[in-house]
Amino acid sequence: MRLSKFDFHAPKTISEAIELLQSKGPDARLMAGGTDLLMKMKHGAVKPPCLISLKSVPGLNAIRFDESAGLTIGATALLSEVAEHPDILRHYPTVAQAARATANVQVRNMGTVVGNLCNASPAADNPPIHMAMRAVVLIEGPGGKRELPLDEFFRGPGVTALLPAEIVTGLRVPRMPVNAGTAYHSLSARGKLDCNAVGAAVMLTLKGKICEDVRLFISACGPTPLRGRKAEEMVRGKELTEEIAAKAGAEAAEESLPITDLRASADYRTEMVAVLTRRVLKEACQMALTSQPA
Amino acid sequence: MREFNIVGKHVPRNDARAKATGTAIYTDDIKLPGMLHGRILRSPLPHARILRIDTSKAAALPGVRCVITGEDTPKIKYGNWRLFPDTQDEYPLAIDKVRFIGDEVAAVAAVDLDTAEEALSLIEVEYEELPAVFDVESAIAQGAPVLHDYCPSNISVNRKIQYGDLEKAFAEADYVREDTFTVHAVSHAYLEPCSSVAQADLDGRITLWTSTQTPYITQCLLASTMNMRENDIRVIKPFVGGGFGGKMELRTWEFCAAFMAKKTGRPVKFTLSREEEFLAGRRRHPMKLTSKVGFKKDGTLTGKDLRIHLDGGAYNAMGPTATFLCGNFGAMLYRYPSYRFFGEHVYTNKPPASAMRGFGAPQSIFATETQMNIAAEELGIDPIELRLKNAQVSGDKIPDVATISTCGFKESLEKVAEMCNWKEKRAQYKTGGGKGIGIGCYSFISGGVFNWFNTQYPFSAAEVRAFDDGTVHLLTMAADIGQGCDTVVKQILAEELGLKMEDIRITSADTSMTPQADLGAWGSRLTLMNGNAVIDAARKIKEQIFGMVSVRFNLNVIHEMECKDGKVFPKGRPQRSMTFGEAVAMAQKANRGEPLVARGYYTPRDKGMVTPAFSFGAQVAEVEVDKETGIVQVKKFWTAHDCGTVINPKAVEGQLEGAIQMGLGYTLSEQFIMDGGKTLNTTFLDYKMPNAMDMPPSETAHIDTYEPEGPMGAKEAGEGLAIPTAPAIAAAVHHATGYRCKDLPITPEKILNATKSL
Repeated sequence: MRLSKFDFHAPKTISEAIELLQSKGPDARLMAGGTDLLMKMKHGAVKPPCLISLKSVPGLNAIRFDESAGLTIGATALLSEVAEHPDILRHYPTVAQAARATANVQVRNMGTVVGNLCNASPAADNPPIHMAMRAVVLIEGPGGKRELPLDEFFRGPGVTALLPAEIVTGLRVPRMPVNAGTAYHSLSARGKLDCNAVGAAVMLTLKGKICEDVRLFISACGPTPLRGRKAEEMVRGKELTEEIAAKAGAEAAEESLPITDLRASADYRTEMVAVLTRRVLKEACQMALTSQPA
Repeated sequence: MREFNIVGKHVPRNDARAKATGTAIYTDDIKLPGMLHGRILRSPLPHARILRIDTSKAAALPGVRCVITGEDTPKIKYGNWRLFPDTQDEYPLAIDKVRFIGDEVAAVAAVDLDTAEEALSLIEVEYEELPAVFDVESAIAQGAPVLHDYCPSNISVNRKIQYGDLEKAFAEADYVREDTFTVHAVSHAYLEPCSSVAQADLDGRITLWTSTQTPYITQCLLASTMNMRENDIRVIKPFVGGGFGGKMELRTWEFCAAFMAKKTGRPVKFTLSREEEFLAGRRRHPMKLTSKVGFKKDGTLTGKDLRIHLDGGAYNAMGPTATFLCGNFGAMLYRYPSYRFFGEHVYTNKPPASAMRGFGAPQSIFATETQMNIAAEELGIDPIELRLKNAQVSGDKIPDVATISTCGFKESLEKVAEMCNWKEKRAQYKTGGGKGIGIGCYSFISGGVFNWFNTQYPFSAAEVRAFDDGTVHLLTMAADIGQGCDTVVKQILAEELGLKMEDIRITSADTSMTPQADLGAWGSRLTLMNGNAVIDAARKIKEQIFGMVSVRFNLNVIHEMECKDGKVFPKGRPQRSMTFGEAVAMAQKANRGEPLVARGYYTPRDKGMVTPAFSFGAQVAEVEVDKETGIVQVKKFWTAHDCGTVINPKAVEGQLEGAIQMGLGYTLSEQFIMDGGKTLNTTFLDYKMPNAMDMPPSETAHIDTYEPEGPMGAKEAGEGLAIPTAPAIAAAVHHATGYRCKDLPITPEKILNATKSL
């Protein structure tokens, strides 16, 4: 179907965008790449009277890497830019991998990582690894600037912790600790180019062979990406043996809250949470081990 | 083997440039002055009586020009089986009852789409909901709700085939097994959704541009449902973005566009959305197949008993043909000394299933081939050896069905085994080890010999107009829907007349301009049938110009003549040649100005009950299965097939790739997810058609045969190739995991559930 009628604004600054959000009322919608929003509009699921694009705000698409501060991904940085950025490929390989796993070439050349987060789909590719890596959401609103850990950002399908007229201007991902490894795996019914039926991401830090810290997030198995706390407990302070990885998988499966929908049954999802958890733990551990000085 | 100049060569397709550059005009691209835009109101209920429809609010909406319901129409039923009027069970718009979610109830034409869409929401329909049935078992149970009053059993069509002594066959067999298979519905998923534009002239005659595989059938059925004369309707097929069997009947929007154009005096366009296509569109028949086969210890087949229920959905559509063909395909590939088939087509409250690439064969042959693979395992015979032992060969007769004139099946089996290193890989991969290789085979028809449509014309026709500038104009009603028949018949004509591709102009698929008639693009019929009609016309042209050469050089009557390289000459005296154009000029002069025109026809006669020629082939799939996730990855396909002479190698390659893509989806990922008759996955995001990245590499070999009934030795290469992929993958998955699929599609979950209990 055709798009419903709407006004279009492309402010040049964030404060202008905030003002527009305030003056146009709660039905106005913010847009980066538009790859989610315009589809919803085409299907008549939302009919916003006003669209505010962030694409004309200079510098908002910047990707910056700093040895101490880590990585900052601007709100309008494209998925394809994140997927191919040399610093990200080097220091945050799993972040690049998740961006590359998102949708298809056309969407990656239009859509943004921050947009993928703000759309708040529980099945989205980018949230789990960023949550595992302790990413922080940079927010600006009528009340000024604030920062929020990403794992407190999602409140439900399509729902975030943003207050009225607030804008996510970027995402900061701290540097990976020394001796850490990351991994992200996802599954879907069609081989490639598909919406996930289940996903798992992890960051794990070793001290010798012992897993000192671990953060595990599961996607598409609940209203938001879920943290696998009991699975983490199973791993923390231990050496990641086959047995421990399998036990952690079982815990994560226990903790997940999958439903049966078009993309998979709840039973299959539960089972796959165990498999993917085991696989990401082992992969991240391998990466952490190889990153350690001999 | 004949030597050809253009046939069999890498000739670019007629439509390649237009499609690549975006200049090809599809139906939805057509915009006429004053054109109205139509939308259809569909039933939200699977089965209900219509108590009342109030269209007054919709009609009063500014911009709305016309609103119709079934009550406004002539109320004439239609269906492709005109020979059996009882089977014609569909009205363009519902009368009294709706029978599936998406059944068409009313139509609106307005100045723009938004207005039309808004008007739909203003139509009030009061329904009395009726109990509904969603599967065959419930539909044929005692006391089941009846969909159509004329058919209290809900079984609309049945077909029986029987030959040989089946009791004896099973009594003599050393090994008898019976299996039940179920196969599911999938979508044609053509990239161009259905679209139609109609215009009425001041005399009330209709021109309909429509995305169809069957311009002639559409013309005839539109005429009857409109209560008009056939030739007051002109159907033109613009470029079509695929059909696969889903565009071969008269459809509601074609009727509504024409009816509303006549009513308003303005052109009317309908284009379906993708969601409508998935929600209410035609689909492949789900079936339940019970097959019993008997073998001797050495693997020799003794007989087969096949019983099938087709889940037809709410209307017959092309279901009767699918029922018929299932039975025929059940007897193909192998020599069954005795065979019995009983098929029943059953109404359910779901979108109608209809023709789809393979037309009953993918279902029927999935059962045949899977059972062959099971039997091979249990008899301890290699699956290819077992097939070679029983394979049909040229000259085999299938009682009451056909004589197989050419058959390259054994050669296909041997070739594919060699290509894929069958023996080594079968031995190397242990059952259940995660890697596997499996085989599936096929046979298909090169067009049907049956005339259920009851056409009064030849099955296919062509007109050739020859000009003194050395060019010809080919006119044919044959419908190129992307499969490439415009190119193929031009090649055949160019070969026959010794001309170049660029010497031929083609006009096709316009029912008032091209010769009557052609039954359309389905059943893989056009290369053979239209090709033969083109050759017939070309030979008539040649007779006339040969006479001119004979006169010009005062030749002895015993000379054989030839057209080659733009020249006409006696074979034994090539120096005595005229150019094609000179010969045409002379013929025209001899006839005192009368243009040189010839018509050619083809109707299969005395070719049994099914088809003039069968294709054959064998395909091997290699898979890797992730035993923890159950995800199947097809690593490679090898195909060896017999389609007679390959007229256009690129077109055949395209057919094979497309067939693999469809087969892959049918086997592993595509399905309609339904809840109480409602299709839930109505977008390409959730309807899992494989895409380019999912396509495995593939190797092909053509088996050299020359089909005497085909044009220049050709047979079909369109639908058949879509058949072997499912059984081949299923066999490979069995090899890799130990899970034997008898219930398509193969999902990761089914594999995990099965392998856990192994």
